[in-house]
Amino acid sequence: MNNLAFELRDIHFSYLGKFPALSGVNINIRPGEKVTVIGANGSGKSTLLHMLDGLIFPDQGTIKAFGENLNENVFADENFSRNFRKKVGLVFQNPDVQLFCPTAQEDIIFGPLQLGMEKGEIENRLEELAGILNLKHLLDRPPHQLSVGEKRKVALASTLIINPEVLILDEPTAGLDPLTTRHIIDLLVPADGSGKTIIISTHDLHLAEEISDIIYVFSPEKRIVKCGKPEEILNDGQLLHDNNLIHIHRHKHKDTTHIHPHLH
Amino acid sequence: MSFFKDSVFSDENASKNGFLQSLDPRIKTITFLLFLVQILLTRNIFILLCLYAVSVLLACFSKIRLGFFLKRTWVFIPLFSLFIAIPAIFSIFTPGEPLTTVKIAGLTLIITRPGLSGAALFIARVVTSVSFVVLLNITTKHFELLKVLRIFKIPQIFVMTLGMCYRYIFLFIGIIENTHLAVKSRVGIKIRPKKGQRIVASNITSLWQRSYQLNEDVYQAMLSRGYNGEPLVLNNFKAGWQDWLWLLCALTIFITIR
Repeated sequence: MNNLAFELRDIHFSYLGKFPALSGVNINIRPGEKVTVIGANGSGKSTLLHMLDGLIFPDQGTIKAFGENLNENVFADENFSRNFRKKVGLVFQNPDVQLFCPTAQEDIIFGPLQLGMEKGEIENRLEELAGILNLKHLLDRPPHQLSVGEKRKVALASTLIINPEVLILDEPTAGLDPLTTRHIIDLLVPADGSGKTIIISTHDLHLAEEISDIIYVFSPEKRIVKCGKPEEILNDGQLLHDNNLIHIHRHKHKDTTHIHPHLH
Repeated sequence: MSFFKDSVFSDENASKNGFLQSLDPRIKTITFLLFLVQILLTRNIFILLCLYAVSVLLACFSKIRLGFFLKRTWVFIPLFSLFIAIPAIFSIFTPGEPLTTVKIAGLTLIITRPGLSGAALFIARVVTSVSFVVLLNITTKHFELLKVLRIFKIPQIFVMTLGMCYRYIFLFIGIIENTHLAVKSRVGIKIRPKKGQRIVASNITSLWQRSYQLNEDVYQAMLSRGYNGEPLVLNNFKAGWQDWLWLLCALTIFITIR
């Protein structure tokens, strides 16, 4: 059990002490594992990811990363904080939050600069990533001139450039058109073969099916109601329906009405 | 709103392949500061007009449309100088050799030679200064201008905060535009003053709450990528021979005119 990337025991968390966001969450994540967290809006997925990234801490319960307890005190130690940030990278749900510099390039290199990476290495990684993500023409552009898809790619690059062992993505394909969604998934699939631990929250069940080793389902009560392999979770229509992840879709073809569950 | 966005934030001219755009922003800023010092120190209107001609020539060499450049500079002149300069031409404020008299609302006002030449010098100084500042602004990308501040030893945290303000103004302009459209789609164009006041007040509150939330989220995003209170940046300006040549020219003009 000591070689877990993350170990969460009976985690409770609430905002302002009165709005519960996580209730009794237990999760073990092994290095190299691909984990997907699915659940309706407001079920606590983003809160969980922020906690895994050491940005917020539980009101009750313990969270361990690489065998060490995470709390505000350990992040006061500069060495611990720097090592943790090198190992764990989070791509935020809203790219406008993550892109705060005047240009895309400055946003991408912000992380490695803070983490003390050599200038030459930063430049090499920037060039490589800009090539892979097709961002070269966007580097000098300010974030407000980018489309949502471009912003997401720049936000992804700003985390990937750190080359973290654990990549956390908060709804990476939300609000994107099908082509850009496919592009983002294609970018993540090679990362899948690199031995990285990937933790994704999403409503996109196709993405969950394609990427995950294990899926955790969150209920509107901010609890994990079930976890298991993708085929086990995604074939449980009642579970998905009860947790607002599918709906019954009714449509007409000429005179015949079809009724069937609809995945997104 | 779109005029404000275009005139203040547009990088279109800064992206052109012209003379000033090709210069290192640090050298360009230093030389423009030299020109501004020169403009402030000289009391010779001929020199001021020559410097103004230099600014217009630089605009042409930098592929800036002359009409656009003149409009951008002269639009500020009434704002900054005309209201100060006009009273100064009369004998009440500047006594001296009378040139002519004018009658305004039964009052006879005398325009004096020192008053007129002082006002002309003042306007020439303002228009030349504004021309150089506008030229620097429209031929340099805003993020480069921010980076230039660092060479004047302005603390990095201050420069970064300025950059973030600049970046998020766009987000809030977008929100304001959308809110305006949402209000218009529901209540139409004509709104009673009281209702209008209520809508504006609630919008201000909502915008404040959003900016407060954004502030927390952005700080978390910074922490997530290793920020520990002292932002570090990469300075990748490179000055070439043409930059040094331009600096030499500006210095020569500065020393010769003095």
